[in-house]
Amino acid sequence: MFNIIIKLAWNNAFLRLSRTILVILMIAISMAMMLSIQGIYDGMTLNMIDKTLRSDSGEISLYHKNYRLDKNLKHNIKDASQIQTFLQTNNEIEYITKRLSVEGLSATARKSAFSNVIGINLENEIAFGQFNQFLKKGDMSFRKRGALLGSELAKTLKVNIGSKIIFSTQDHSGDINSIAVRVRGIVQTSNIALDASAVYVDLKQVQKFLGVNNQMATQIAIRTHSQTLLKELKNKYPELDVKNFLELYPMLKQMKDMMVIFTSITFLIVMLVVLIGITGVMYVSILDRIREFGIMRALGMSYQNIRYQIFLEAFLVGLTGYILGAILGFSTLYYLQNYGLNLSQYSEGMESFGMDTIIYAQMNISYFTSTFYAIITASLLSVLLPLIKIKKLNPIDVIKAET
Amino acid sequence: MFSFALKNIFFYKSRSITTFILTFFSLLLLIVYVAMMDGSHESMLKNALKVYTGAIEIYQKNYRDLGGNEYLINQVDTIEKALLTIKGIEQFTSRYETYGLLSSKENSAASMVAGINPDKEKHMSQLEVALKEGEFLKQNSGNCLYAGIGLVKKLSINVGDEVSFIGSASDNSFAADLFKLCGIFKTGSAQFDGATSFVARQYFDQLMYSQNKASYINIKPHDLSQVDEINSQILKVIADDKESLTWKTLMKPMVQAMEVDSVFGYISISLFYVVIFFVIMIFGFINVSSRIREFGTLRCIGLSRGKLRLLLFYEIFILSTLAIIIAAPIGAYISHYFSVNPIVIEGMSEMYKDYGIVSDELPFSFNLMTITWNIALIYVLNFLSIIYPTSYINNFKALEATHHV
Repeated sequence: MFNIIIKLAWNNAFLRLSRTILVILMIAISMAMMLSIQGIYDGMTLNMIDKTLRSDSGEISLYHKNYRLDKNLKHNIKDASQIQTFLQTNNEIEYITKRLSVEGLSATARKSAFSNVIGINLENEIAFGQFNQFLKKGDMSFRKRGALLGSELAKTLKVNIGSKIIFSTQDHSGDINSIAVRVRGIVQTSNIALDASAVYVDLKQVQKFLGVNNQMATQIAIRTHSQTLLKELKNKYPELDVKNFLELYPMLKQMKDMMVIFTSITFLIVMLVVLIGITGVMYVSILDRIREFGIMRALGMSYQNIRYQIFLEAFLVGLTGYILGAILGFSTLYYLQNYGLNLSQYSEGMESFGMDTIIYAQMNISYFTSTFYAIITASLLSVLLPLIKIKKLNPIDVIKAET
Repeated sequence: MFSFALKNIFFYKSRSITTFILTFFSLLLLIVYVAMMDGSHESMLKNALKVYTGAIEIYQKNYRDLGGNEYLINQVDTIEKALLTIKGIEQFTSRYETYGLLSSKENSAASMVAGINPDKEKHMSQLEVALKEGEFLKQNSGNCLYAGIGLVKKLSINVGDEVSFIGSASDNSFAADLFKLCGIFKTGSAQFDGATSFVARQYFDQLMYSQNKASYINIKPHDLSQVDEINSQILKVIADDKESLTWKTLMKPMVQAMEVDSVFGYISISLFYVVIFFVIMIFGFINVSSRIREFGTLRCIGLSRGKLRLLLFYEIFILSTLAIIIAAPIGAYISHYFSVNPIVIEGMSEMYKDYGIVSDELPFSFNLMTITWNIALIYVLNFLSIIYPTSYINNFKALEATHHV
């Protein structure tokens, strides 16, 4: 009996080919578009989060209690080197780096701009966040008083590789001090604040310039996958400000959450409209064959078997649409994942807002599984109304009925 | 043919109701969505223009690219006289900007110090409105400094305290002075508030030796939409070594970012329209499929294929128009209401301050032209949705259609 039901369902699902094709196309195209949009949005947000983690905060950062409110050099971590050495023995910590940062004024012979000198250990930063991948131009080197400039700052100062800039600020003793550095490279981290103001200089050079000892730092950043480390560090260093990435960048967390809400609402509305479309077709398709169902009932086929057949028809239509949509969606996402969405014509706008000019899509298996459940559910729900109608019918009346 | 279409609409109720509802919600969503998107962009732009940047600015050529004192505007009064002859300009003022170090007893901080004309600046920007403490500058304020709240915090000073300034004057000589903090402002832009301060030009020009010189001349038009026209007139009256730029160039990154945002917005909303287009087409197709014999009979009694197309066009036209007549005023009212009473999202400006958002208000844009193209788009989509059903029905021969089962 079940074989007959399958055969009947298969034949009937594609009986009115034109309208079935329309439904399949509707499911496939909307699904492919939805997957592409979700992939691009996720790619954009995750890219921003990833680059912020790598260029600045890591998963956890440690500061002096007052530093984030008042970025003054006096609010530094005095025993940063000791803390770093100690934490390096912790197996839960993958990478650790310390930075010494001070705000000031960068000037060329013609231009000036507010900036932030950040003393870093290049090797540590490369291990910590593949810092070398942020290089846009020039060399990743601090040789001969070299410096790496944020891309937006380089634009503001109109400097290029080899240009000399003078950075002036208040040193540790409170005196105004200046340092001349030569631009060796221009980096683009996609972190707006850093790209607009960062002048990366060798940590030892900055310590010497500011007159601080080599123990001091303003930030210790940590890469880890541990969920418990934050609590552990907060307990261990109550005198420090220990923050995780989400606390340091609530905007990115909010952006990610908003994307989830936005795509969920979009998903829901699209599926609702798709449900209306499938329902229309299935309803008409079943009513067209109402006498056929009456005859089947009269011949002894149970309502339950008819129900199976109709559910199977809807499932087949939904499944075909899903498979086509999955192929289209996968192809589009594959292309966008490898070649990206090129928005270089808007490069100035994208870069100034901390985004890459080429956006690469994200592709997760969950996109396909959640869509599968949604489409199959919509397909099965679409036949509930005609099924209720069939259940109420008397086979004899149905056979006599005009189509 | 029109009344025939009208009768069909009432006869085939389910198709009519579905098409009506989907068209209604499509248009309503489109009007409200576009109004919100455009409104937020206009708000960002207006806020940015209000704070400090001008709608039009005149520079000596190369000042923006190379900078330096040799590219300052000299003979500002000549240009100002010429500007008085141009219609559409509400106000203009020259500014002299320099960078230097400000130091209090404890701390030092870099700042852009700008010499401004306080009386004119009141009409040009929101600097006076942004006052948080103390007072705004006057023409004869002397060595009064009007500084951003972030800068004041960095320097750890209060109104009445003195700060020293070190910089270089317009003739490249060393310039140093003592300023007294008279007022503190807060625009909401963290970068601006943290690094900008102002002094009245009358005093600052003596210190910087910048009389009749300016970094640029800032121009405010009566109507922002007239900037291109006014700018072309300005270009005619200024010398070839000067350039006049509108906000579209001055704020190119922001303009581009808004364009990208719009592109993403339209991509997102297009998904809805593709699905709705298919559903309307499917219902239209189901409808004509069930009327094949009817169409066959009509063809047999002399109705041409063209007339059939016209009949189906009238049907979708009437249904679309009915939905649009109801949806458009509702959408327009919502847009207008929220343009006058913007949605307030507490904490939005704090959260997105790095992106230039300085207000918690999210106003909608109410623009009849935009609503018109929204309506046109829905009409086009609905008309496109009947192309396939129409061609499907017209593929049948008249007799064949009358026997169709």
